[in-house]
Amino acid sequence: MTNYSFRILKAQPARTAFTIGGVALCAVLMLFLLSVYRGVADGSVEYIRHNRTDLWVLQENTTNILRGSSILSTGHGNLLREIKGIRSVSPLLFVLSAIRKGGRGSTVYLTGYDPATGIGAPPRIIQGRTIRNDGEIVLDRSFAAKFRFHTGDFVSLKGDSLRVVGISAQTNMFVIQYAFVTLRQAQSLIGYPGLVSCYLVQLQEPQSASSMKERVRDEIPGLEVYDHDEFLGNNIREMQSGFLPLLYVIATIGGIVLTTILTLILSMSILERRMDFAVMKTLGSSHRFLGGLVYGQGLQISLAGCGTALALFFPMIRLIETISPEVSTKTSIEQVAGVFLAVSVMSGVSSFVAARKLGRIYTLEAFS
Amino acid sequence: MTTNACNEALIVLQNVSKRFGDNGNGTTAISDVSLSCSAGELVLLLGPSGSGKTTLLTLMAGLIGPSKGRVLLFGREVQSYSAGELQHIRAHRLGFIFQNFLLIESLSVLENIVLVLRFAGITGSQATGEARRLLRQFSIEHLSDKSPLRLSQGEKQRVAIVRAIANGGQLIIADEPTASLESSQGLQVIELLRNLARSGNRCVVVASHDQRLVEYADCVVRLRDGSIEPLEARRGA
Repeated sequence: MTNYSFRILKAQPARTAFTIGGVALCAVLMLFLLSVYRGVADGSVEYIRHNRTDLWVLQENTTNILRGSSILSTGHGNLLREIKGIRSVSPLLFVLSAIRKGGRGSTVYLTGYDPATGIGAPPRIIQGRTIRNDGEIVLDRSFAAKFRFHTGDFVSLKGDSLRVVGISAQTNMFVIQYAFVTLRQAQSLIGYPGLVSCYLVQLQEPQSASSMKERVRDEIPGLEVYDHDEFLGNNIREMQSGFLPLLYVIATIGGIVLTTILTLILSMSILERRMDFAVMKTLGSSHRFLGGLVYGQGLQISLAGCGTALALFFPMIRLIETISPEVSTKTSIEQVAGVFLAVSVMSGVSSFVAARKLGRIYTLEAFS
Repeated sequence: MTTNACNEALIVLQNVSKRFGDNGNGTTAISDVSLSCSAGELVLLLGPSGSGKTTLLTLMAGLIGPSKGRVLLFGREVQSYSAGELQHIRAHRLGFIFQNFLLIESLSVLENIVLVLRFAGITGSQATGEARRLLRQFSIEHLSDKSPLRLSQGEKQRVAIVRAIANGGQLIIADEPTASLESSQGLQVIELLRNLARSGNRCVVVASHDQRLVEYADCVVRLRDGSIEPLEARRGA
C-alpha cells in the first residue's frame, strides 16, 4: 500500500515537490512562530524567574512589570524594613529610556538595581561583566547586535555617557529590550532620587510568604504584594495576552493553508487516478485499502514536508537572527515534535476529506 | 423470455431486466433475460455495440442489481448480499478482464498481480511467490519488473489474464478481451480463455462483438437491443 502511494506521488514529481514545499513552508512558519514565542516568553519573564525572591511589592493595582507602571518611594522601603520577619528589601526601578550613539540606538527597558546586592541583575551575562558602579551599563544581546554596540563602547543616556561593560541574554522582550544600570543612575535619569518601581523582599526563616503578604498589606496601605510564583504567573499571562492571540491567528492561517493544499492535491490525485481506483474496487479492494492509499500519500507528503522543514528551519533562523538581531528565538525538541504532530493531524484531516471522493467512484466506471 | 441453460450453474439470471433512468426518460438496457452459466464453460455474450453485453456482464458479476427479475450468483440472490459480501466475492471468487486491460500503470507487472492477491488476503512473500509462479506459468515472467506502459498489447492482455485468475476465482468476467488485439492475438487469447475454463473448471463469460469467437464458445448468447435473440448456438460437451 505504501509502495503504491509512493508510486502515485512519484508519477507526478513536480506536483509532489511543490506540495512537499508547501507543507514544509507551513511547518517552518509554525516552528518559527513557536520559537519566537518561546524566545519572547523567555526574554519577557526570565528576568523575573531569575530574580527569585519571597515577595514582590509594587504600587496598588499593579499586577506586572511588563505593561504596568508602579511608583513607590524609598520611604516604602524603609517601612518594609521595619516589619519583623523581613530579612532584606531590594529596590528596583524600571524606566523607558532611549540609548544613543552616533545617531544609532533606540528605547530600552532600563532597569536600575543595587549592584552591591546583585538582586535585580540580568539573568545571564554572555560577554563582559555585570555593572559595578554608576556610569556603566549592560545591554541586551539583540539590542547590542542590532545597533552594533560592543563592550567598551560609550553610549549616551539622556546626556549621561555610560560605558558598556557587558552583554546580557534572555533579556529580549521582542518589542523592547532590557538594559541594566545602577539604581542611582536610573533615579538620576528621571530626576527623582527617592523613586523606585518595586521592592524585592526576602524573609527570615521560618516566615511564610502568604502570612507576610497579609501583614505587609495591613501595615503599609497602597501596596500590592505577590509571592514569587504569583508574580511570575501574572507576567506570563500579561505577555501571553499580548502575543498569543497573534500567534494563534497566524498559526491557524498556516494550518488552514496547509490543510487546503494537501486536500486539493490529494483530491486531484484521486480524480486523476479515478480509473485505477474503479479497477481496484472492481477487483475486490476494500474501502479501507483505498482509503489507506490516500492516507499513505498524505502521510508521505507530511513526512517529507517535515523533513524539509527541519532542514530549512535552523539555517533560516540563523539568517533571520543575523539580519534582525532583535528576533530572538528558542527551539526545543518538544516544539518540533508538536509541529510535526500538528502537520500529521492536518494531513489526516486532508486525507479524510479527500478520501470521501472515493465513495463517488464506481466499479462500473471500469467498464465504460 | 429466452432461456439458455448450462451445467452446475454459478450464475443464474431469471427474467432479468435492467432499466437506467426514470420511468419517463429511462432506457431499457436489458429486457427479460434468463440464462445460467456453469463451471468448465466459456460463455460468449455476442452482440453489436449497444446491445447490452456490458450491462449483462456487470449484472452477472453483481456490480449492479436488476430492475426486474432475479440474479443468482454462486447460488444466492445478488441483492441479498451486503456490499461487504460482494466485495469479498469479487476479491476471492471473481476475476475481471477489461476491454483496455486497465492494468495499473504506476505498478510493475508483478505488483499488479500481487495487488489482486492482496485483495484476496494473500500478502508478503507468499503473494510475490504466487505472482511469480503464475507469470512463469504463462511464460511472461520476464515481464515481472516492467511497467505496463512498456508492454505490447498482446503482453498486456496476457498480464490481464494472469491478474484475472490470480485469486483462484471460479468465475472470469471478460469485457471485449480481444478488441484491442490484432486478429491472431485475439484468437490466441480466446483459446487461452477456453483452456482456462476447461482445465481450471472455471466459468469464463466473455462479452464480444467478434463473430469469430463463436467457434471457441461452449454457450453463445446473442444479444440485440437488450434481449437474447431466439437463435442460440451451443458447442462442446
